[in-house]
Amino acid sequence: MSDTPVPDSNAAAAPEAAQIIDRGYRSYEGPRTGLPGSIRSVVRYSVRHTLGLGRAARHKILPWLAVVIALVPAVVFVGLAVVLDIDMIEDEILPDYHEYYGFITTALFFYCAIIVPDILVADRRNGMLQLYLSTPLQRWSYLASKAAAVAAALAVLTMGPVLFLLVARTLEGSGPDGLVEWIKIFVRIIAAGAAISAAFTMASLAAASLTDRRLFATIGVVVLLWGSGFTTLALVEAADMSAQVYAFDLGGIADELKNRIYGVEGLDPFGAPESPEDDVFQPGAGREQLSTLFVVAANFAWVALGSAVVWWRYRRLALSR
Amino acid sequence: MPVNEPAPQPQAAGINGAGWPYDPRVSIVETQALTQRFGSTVALDALDLRMQPGVTGLVGANGAGKTTLLNAMLGLRIPTSGSLTVLGYDPQRAGHRLRANVGFAPERNVLPDEMRAVDFVRHLAEVQGLPRGEARNRASDTLWLVGLGEERLRTLGTMSTGQRQRVKLAQAIASDPKLVLLDEPTDGLDPVQRSEMLALIGQISRDFSISVVLSSHQLEEVERVCDNIVALDAGRLVACGPISDLVGAGDGITLELVDVAEPAGSVDAVEAALRAGGLDVRRHEATLALRGAAFEDLCDRSRDAVAAAGARIRRLETRRRTLEDLFEDAAR
Repeated sequence: MSDTPVPDSNAAAAPEAAQIIDRGYRSYEGPRTGLPGSIRSVVRYSVRHTLGLGRAARHKILPWLAVVIALVPAVVFVGLAVVLDIDMIEDEILPDYHEYYGFITTALFFYCAIIVPDILVADRRNGMLQLYLSTPLQRWSYLASKAAAVAAALAVLTMGPVLFLLVARTLEGSGPDGLVEWIKIFVRIIAAGAAISAAFTMASLAAASLTDRRLFATIGVVVLLWGSGFTTLALVEAADMSAQVYAFDLGGIADELKNRIYGVEGLDPFGAPESPEDDVFQPGAGREQLSTLFVVAANFAWVALGSAVVWWRYRRLALSR
Repeated sequence: MPVNEPAPQPQAAGINGAGWPYDPRVSIVETQALTQRFGSTVALDALDLRMQPGVTGLVGANGAGKTTLLNAMLGLRIPTSGSLTVLGYDPQRAGHRLRANVGFAPERNVLPDEMRAVDFVRHLAEVQGLPRGEARNRASDTLWLVGLGEERLRTLGTMSTGQRQRVKLAQAIASDPKLVLLDEPTDGLDPVQRSEMLALIGQISRDFSISVVLSSHQLEEVERVCDNIVALDAGRLVACGPISDLVGAGDGITLELVDVAEPAGSVDAVEAALRAGGLDVRRHEATLALRGAAFEDLCDRSRDAVAAAGARIRRLETRRRTLEDLFEDAAR
């Protein structure tokens, strides 16, 4: 066989370097990684799958398009500032950290609607689910692995660009003042990214769990993300309902939690803030009237509801007869 | 390297080591009054069975309950009633521990088309509990074993049905399980591929001491490769035990007569005479399968009946009991 090592004159002098290349199938008595190893493997595989890594080029286009949508504006802002030698803060070339999420949200919606449904739907359609559940994985650990994978991929979108801005500002000399401020901003970026990722992960997985068709799952996510926004906006602004209805706006309530995490000026962390001074219509402006506790609870409720729907669906799911 | 669960350690007299709750010399699967209902349908009807190590054929027609039993053995279905242990584990209470030692190849012939065979086998070996490096090495080794060494870098979507069946077998054994459950592994294969697959299954059990439960509705292939059988019919247990005890030579005689003979109706006359003598007679056209007496006695009585009817014998030979007889007996 071509893999068979050819003996050389050094072999006798260094026997510890000898190795068997072609071992063939044999029994295995070594250590096993158990359930944690199973979960790690599924998370790793699923993250790679959603990002199109190790797959044909056509599978890489959409996920990386989402990354580009999220990251390119930050790169452009930083590039302009560096090339034109403009002071980033005084000339307001770079958006503030919390303001950058507008670009991220677009990428996030796109990713959740187009990419995320595949992570559950494909396993049910191509037989992988049955194979996974014939391993140490149980339904809960399989779903936890998938949720972790989606959350990790979304974290790339929600944290990556803002961390890039933080690093760029720091290197350029216009970053936070001192280590303590830098850590505060860093923690806010991580916390806001994690909060947004959690809510979007569970909501999109819930939509994906209800159908075996990717298209229907995508429609479900679109309805959930955009539909809930338009509906709640109409109810509050046109029907003059309470601002608490915004709790049903997934994108809006997650964005509001991000604002609270960043401590955006004018907001009382645990009380009702002052009303906006201008009368210009701003979508979701009424969210500022909600208490932080309410905003946090609403986000938890979205995560809990999504988890409950996914679990309900998979508990009932018959693999085969 | 993460070490969370020690591999079962072998003993000199078997693999009944510390933390390994079954004695493979006794049984690998045991059920008591195992019942599975789907609404008003009884898929498994109070099964009491015991599977021995080696290759066990789980046979029965489509809908007999084979896949349901396999799913129950994996802990994927909660039985309606009764008890079940596999490798000494209760699949419901210790499912993840059990499944770490069991490989499974499902009947469904749908696999992720875009994955390369080696990636597919490696990933499932990892999920089954092998460390990454070991999973990578064993994925290649296993694909060579099943005859796909040269094809291991091809994507599953470009493979033939026979190759995909081999890939399913490879992923089932890559982690070196103690037991492999194969659901219709020869489904969709031509006769040559089927023979190769059966030889491979026999080799896995013989050379690597992996017990195999082979679900199939092809009785002939089960007879060829299996040491033991469990036969199901509409959820009921028809037979269970070593195949050498249940099928084989010495089960009466086969008497084939010339079907166009003078006088007319001679075959009917022979059949009637033998039935009148209290023998178990099964007729297929001009061939009579006779049981119910010693071989010599059967020959003598056949000769007398043929002579009395004026019939002519085309063939007379010792009859071999087959799996089909088991099902026919159960149906009578």
